[in-house]
Amino acid sequence: MSDTGSAMSELQARHLTRHFKIRVPGHVLSAKRIVRAVDDVSLDLRAGQVTAVVGESGSGKSVLARLLARILTPTAGELILRGTPIAAKARRSLAYASDVQLVLQDPFGSMNPVHQIHHNLIRPLRIHGASKDESRALAETALRRVSLEPPERFLDRFPHELSGGQLQRISIARALCVQPKVLLADEPISMLDVSVRLGVLNLLRGLCDDEQLAILYITHDIASARYLAEEIIVMYAGQVVEYSRGTTLVDAPTHPYTQLLIASVPDPSNPLSMAPHVGEQNLTTFAEQGCRFSPRCAQVMDICRTEEPPAFLVGESHTSKCWLYRDRPEASVELAIPKRRGEGATTTK
Amino acid sequence: MSTDALERRAAADVVAGAASPPSGSGMNERILQINDFCVDYGVDEGAVRAVDGVDLHLDRSKVLGVAGESGSGKSTLVYGFTRLLRAPALITGGTAFFNVGPASEGGPDEFIDLVTANEATLRRVRWTQISVVIQSALNALNPVVRVGSLFNQVFKAHRREMSRADRRTRAIELLELVGLNPDRLQRFPHELSGGQRQRVMIALALALDPQLVIMDEPTTALDVVTQREILGELAELRARFGFAMIFITHDLSLLVELADEIVVMYAGRLVERAGARALYDAPRHPYTLGLLNSFPPMHGERQELTGIPGAPPDLSDLPSGCAFHPRCPYAMERCAAERPPLAKLSEEGRYVACWLHVDEVHATVPVELRRAVPTTSAGEGGAT
Amino acid sequence: MKTLNLPRSPKVVLGLGITAFFLLLTIIGPYLAPFSPDDTSFAPNLTPSWHHWFGTTSLGQDIFSQTLVGARATIVVALVAGLVATALSTLVGVSAGYLGGFTDDGLSLMSNVFLAIPGLPLLIVIDSYLPVGSRSNALIIGLVISLTGWAWGARVLRAQTMSLRNRDFIEASRIIGERRWRIMLTEVAPNLLPVLASSLLFTVLYSIGAYVTLAYIGLTSSSVWNWGTMLFWAQANNAPLSGEWYWFVPPGVCIALVGTGLSLLNFGIDEFINPRLRESGLTARQRRRRGLPRRVRLGLTPVLRPVVAKASGPAATSKAAS
Repeated sequence: MSDTGSAMSELQARHLTRHFKIRVPGHVLSAKRIVRAVDDVSLDLRAGQVTAVVGESGSGKSVLARLLARILTPTAGELILRGTPIAAKARRSLAYASDVQLVLQDPFGSMNPVHQIHHNLIRPLRIHGASKDESRALAETALRRVSLEPPERFLDRFPHELSGGQLQRISIARALCVQPKVLLADEPISMLDVSVRLGVLNLLRGLCDDEQLAILYITHDIASARYLAEEIIVMYAGQVVEYSRGTTLVDAPTHPYTQLLIASVPDPSNPLSMAPHVGEQNLTTFAEQGCRFSPRCAQVMDICRTEEPPAFLVGESHTSKCWLYRDRPEASVELAIPKRRGEGATTTK
Repeated sequence: MSTDALERRAAADVVAGAASPPSGSGMNERILQINDFCVDYGVDEGAVRAVDGVDLHLDRSKVLGVAGESGSGKSTLVYGFTRLLRAPALITGGTAFFNVGPASEGGPDEFIDLVTANEATLRRVRWTQISVVIQSALNALNPVVRVGSLFNQVFKAHRREMSRADRRTRAIELLELVGLNPDRLQRFPHELSGGQRQRVMIALALALDPQLVIMDEPTTALDVVTQREILGELAELRARFGFAMIFITHDLSLLVELADEIVVMYAGRLVERAGARALYDAPRHPYTLGLLNSFPPMHGERQELTGIPGAPPDLSDLPSGCAFHPRCPYAMERCAAERPPLAKLSEEGRYVACWLHVDEVHATVPVELRRAVPTTSAGEGGAT
Repeated sequence: MKTLNLPRSPKVVLGLGITAFFLLLTIIGPYLAPFSPDDTSFAPNLTPSWHHWFGTTSLGQDIFSQTLVGARATIVVALVAGLVATALSTLVGVSAGYLGGFTDDGLSLMSNVFLAIPGLPLLIVIDSYLPVGSRSNALIIGLVISLTGWAWGARVLRAQTMSLRNRDFIEASRIIGERRWRIMLTEVAPNLLPVLASSLLFTVLYSIGAYVTLAYIGLTSSSVWNWGTMLFWAQANNAPLSGEWYWFVPPGVCIALVGTGLSLLNFGIDEFINPRLRESGLTARQRRRRGLPRRVRLGLTPVLRPVVAKASGPAATSKAAS
């Protein structure tokens, strides 16, 4: 725990929760179901450090990114930006927008097709108070920071004239040009060609090391999380199920879900016949009671079906939200791990 | 089309990499033979060559992996020889002989050229002998048709003799094959998860016992766990029914497990062809090596990987010579001037389109590109 | 700069030609007219001749001059109505689609009400309340017509905006802190241009119909010549019954032609939005020359046998190597 405090915490989330009400198909009038898209998630984003959030579709990882960027309002929980708590219901200020930036998944979709690249880069600068002449110079600097040289070659192009890798770099440049402290990247490489993915990952690594950015890297690809991140969080059904500093989580996973995830990664040394077989799953339905992974879990116990496990400390800076480790001490929230339900009531509003 | 015509045709293309098909009884093992296949988008000045002189062959019950990035022509190739491409695509050359089985009991297998086949022939062959599973099952399945009706439609179109009860029994059987509950027959596609929809697609593709199943990135849109399960099931189904498979993906490591042989495409051409394991353990083409190095590993020390510099080329403005040379760390003068042919290497069943391996005068093969293939796994697919 | 790759199909060229012709007529028509449209000094009921191209009315007016002069009022009113209606529908549609919630509910309700009320009776009612003096004012008539013609466009634009609203680039604008009205104006609206253009053409067409109808039933000032008043007078003087076809055919044909021109242009916009309609980018002549089927069918990729061996052909290289 000592090393976690060394880097400065730029953005902290405490017990962040977001529920959505959805209509249950077939019940037009009454039945609305509450989907706990993000449920009691706490994390620390520190300067010069990449935190990876790994999860499948439906794990709530994209909602988490939008909560952190404050383009979605949390149902409960709070955000602390450089030590200052931010009221959940307050309007998102321009200052917050310039401190915390989000890069979206689809590089082709996130550029307006009718505008040239300079519009995409200069608008944020203009909004955040730069003059017209300044903006162009700053936009060029931003393009250089993402290794697009010479910048003039890109500024007057239209998005459709550029490749996916270039557009994703421009997306990152757009986020960078307002000088954020925190960069949230929502699956930045999943839509890119295999051969250019590493380039974007290495770019993020460089920004983190050279400019002391705090980066949240959201992905479904656990191998890339292992490659890039100092901290890895695995999410399942809106909750953090496992967390570790370093690559411990990948090298020695403790939570059955993480184990399943890792066993599923295509790996030539792990033939298909050894594939875990969990049968038909509808990922949108999770257990309402107890551990949410219990219906799919191979090591399920009775307690899992009735009581939700807290996060247990399974190693140094390594926690696992699973009853298998109930003999271990419970982890505290300072480790960016949610406490047991109810205990966090004092910090939530 | 008779077999000797096919042999003549194939013999002419030996240099281009197509092994001549085995004669006599062994001939029956060949299911697909594609030679010198070209597809353009558009004509004249606006024409872009998306698939350029591809030679391929596939034997019964084998899995051929086609790997490549977007724009490499991997999808165009398979939708091209199945004649499913839409305008402005045009097939501009080549042949695609498909084994439709013996004309009479005990006779030699007949081959038809899909490129010259008329609509009636194609309709007869498609789905009964060649079926396709595409990437986005949500778009492929009609949202207002129940899963059960999808199966009904297929059987009604191709198996008129089946009764209502037969159709239902067979549909349930097929769903169970792909690990789905029979009550899914009553569902609409949007009520199923992505993995379930893709399973329905696979069940539909297998409905008429095809000889060849084409999988176009069937698992790309799915989560890893679901992907793993579906791939595992596919391997089982193939072992059980013995259909041949062409599997298209950008994920090489996935192919290594599943395929017997892998071809790697770049800018519309084959750059390497080898047994799956051999290709993974000892790639010969710099692009293949770069591609393999682009996947961060799950084991071992963390170290910085570089991937491949630059971006995939624009097909309408290809670099001269070898299309990969601007991104290639080993590029020589000759690479910019001349395009390397897909040449046979001295090793069994390996072909590579790279001057490093062909030009003995100017080139020394870098050590990364001449790793020995581990003897235990040479030429074997992981899925068997 | 971006080059606009306008489709050059014969349909679009013809549409452009017709529309341009009538726009020109709007400007120079009255100057070209050989006589005053009100001049009754000619012999009545003359059939078309060299002197009177379209003949004369039973009051002895030159029909050719009336047609030329009438073009201006008809088209100006239609343009005013079309522009105002499109502006209204953009304002309502984009706000409703982008803002959502109560704004959307209110605005949608309003446009649905306007859609549900039959346009022509409403027009007649509003028009009959207008002071007689203002009925000759093209602007006022145009405004009145636009009131009944914006709702359809608003619905289309609302739907388009709603699909755009969830696109990533709109979210990206929100992330950088762009204001809502600016997002609507600079990010959403430019993407609606093809739909806007199509909506404009549609409302102009509708407005011509509405204006001509109003004039035909005598609800506009008879002192302003337009194609509708010509039809009104022809009808009033029993022209269709007495065989004076040259009286009512010219304005009718003009209306039909303008309508055709605008519709053809609309096809062009459709092709621009949806390139798949462009028949694979091959012209009919190119197809014929290459012996390709005239129409491309689904599931049957055409095969083009090379007429001349391409030097770059892979077969050529590999075979040469042998």
